[in-house]
Amino acid sequence: MIALFAPGARRGAARTAGLVLAIATVILPALPLGPIVAQPPMPLGVLWAAYGWAADDDGTWRRPALLFTLGLLHDQMAGGPYGLFAALYLLTFLLGRSFAAIMSAPTLASIWGGFIATTAATTLAAMFLAPIAFGKGASAMQFAQAAAVTALFFPLVRSLYMNTGPTQRALQGARR
Amino acid sequence: MAKRLRTTGRRIRISFAVIAAGALLGLAGALLAFKLGMGGPVASTGDDLAAGGARVATGPFRAVEGTLQRVGLMWNAAGRVQALEAENRDLRVWRELAGRLAERNERYEALLRMPPDAFGAGADLRDAIAAQLVMDSGGPFTRTLVANAGAEHGVRVGFIALNEHGLVGRVVSVGTHSSRVLLLDDYNSRIPVMGAQSRVRALLRGEASNPPNLLTRPVEAASPRLDFFSQGLREGETIITSGDGGLFPRGLKVGAATRDRDGQWRVALAASQQAIDFVRLAPYEPQDAPERSSEAPAADTPVAAATPANAAETQTTTPAPRPQTAAPAAAPGPLATAEAAANEPAPRPTLASAPGQPPKPRAEPQRAGQPRLGQ
Repeated sequence: MIALFAPGARRGAARTAGLVLAIATVILPALPLGPIVAQPPMPLGVLWAAYGWAADDDGTWRRPALLFTLGLLHDQMAGGPYGLFAALYLLTFLLGRSFAAIMSAPTLASIWGGFIATTAATTLAAMFLAPIAFGKGASAMQFAQAAAVTALFFPLVRSLYMNTGPTQRALQGARR
Repeated sequence: MAKRLRTTGRRIRISFAVIAAGALLGLAGALLAFKLGMGGPVASTGDDLAAGGARVATGPFRAVEGTLQRVGLMWNAAGRVQALEAENRDLRVWRELAGRLAERNERYEALLRMPPDAFGAGADLRDAIAAQLVMDSGGPFTRTLVANAGAEHGVRVGFIALNEHGLVGRVVSVGTHSSRVLLLDDYNSRIPVMGAQSRVRALLRGEASNPPNLLTRPVEAASPRLDFFSQGLREGETIITSGDGGLFPRGLKVGAATRDRDGQWRVALAASQQAIDFVRLAPYEPQDAPERSSEAPAADTPVAAATPANAAETQTTTPAPRPQTAAPAAAPGPLATAEAAANEPAPRPTLASAPGQPPKPRAEPQRAGQPRLGQ
């Protein structure tokens, strides 16, 4: 019982909850569960995961592979060509990795600002990729709205995707 | 030394993650470049799997929702019965009026020797396949839905999708057990439509985020329809498919014309009055142009035989009187069924001012000189 409250177990539970939340934001909008779930714009939870996992990168291929899989799942649910969301999520991961390397002693404001900048760059990429995927005239406006909502809620879910303790902050700083 | 090794090892691991992400990003780009998943067999199989999962996932929710709805309906059953009885009385009056107007309309059509209306022609609504929506569009780029009927049930690409209110969209990919319907408000959706009363032709353009945009289309300058330029759409006017382009039959109800704050004409989609739960997928064979039709007069046929007067004499084009119970503008052709009337593909009974549907000039050139009583 005590082990459940240990920092490692808490972190593991938070990570699992974060993954479930990210998957839910991919699947739930595609299910006809009523107007509340279908009400756009739903946040793009995988962007949280991509940025948070990049900040706490464990150095293995598993997280990029998981992001790629989630992207393909999102492509399938959205009815678009495979690769669009996978590319956007992996791009977010790479941008998040760059921001994590730049930040020596990240605070909530800098992490949030980094996420906003990352989602803005991802939105620009979506504006470029959407016409390729869906043809001329396709707009990324709804993606931009969803990305804005995602950025707005990021501080609330940050602890599910990245370590927020002082020890880890020092580690992130040391990574530089 | 140990610290240096740890740092080096961490750098190697970080590099490996970034390399893996970069490689997968390249793979995603390649998938995107080949547009894998756009109507192909891989996407259809994926749709089948996703539809199966969605059915399982939404099953309990639908059961609970249905139970709650039934309980809610029982709660105010007496009030609803009274309201329905009042509505039924009103509707009987309207039905009588509609029947009278339909008879009058048919007399006018007989006097004018109008050919049968082409509303809904080519669509086989009697053989439509009813399907339940199992997935909505889950992305910010497209507006599609997945129905739980596929090739196994006879659905093919190009089937039109309707619900009880009007046109929903068109089937763009079919799996074994599921099919994906492109909705009218998708970016890739362009539907030729017309005003049911004003006859103004327009192109319905989806924008995914907003109600579909209605672009008034300047049709060919030499076309007789140029005189519709002087008329505009009417606010609240019923918008129906015009049948141009051959993707949809003529006369399917699309929605009502509205104007937004900027003065842009839009359509409040009829199918979206309520959440779309069930759809009917109907086959549609576009009608051939006269020059390609086997019934068209041969090239050596004397010109006189194709004049309006002769055509009227040689063809029985006068529609037979319909029973009063039929919808006034229901298709007297292959779709003259109660089913078609139930789908409301035709204008409302209040279209008394329109004694007939002006035919398309390409399909019915013999009416080019007739007066437009309805305009």
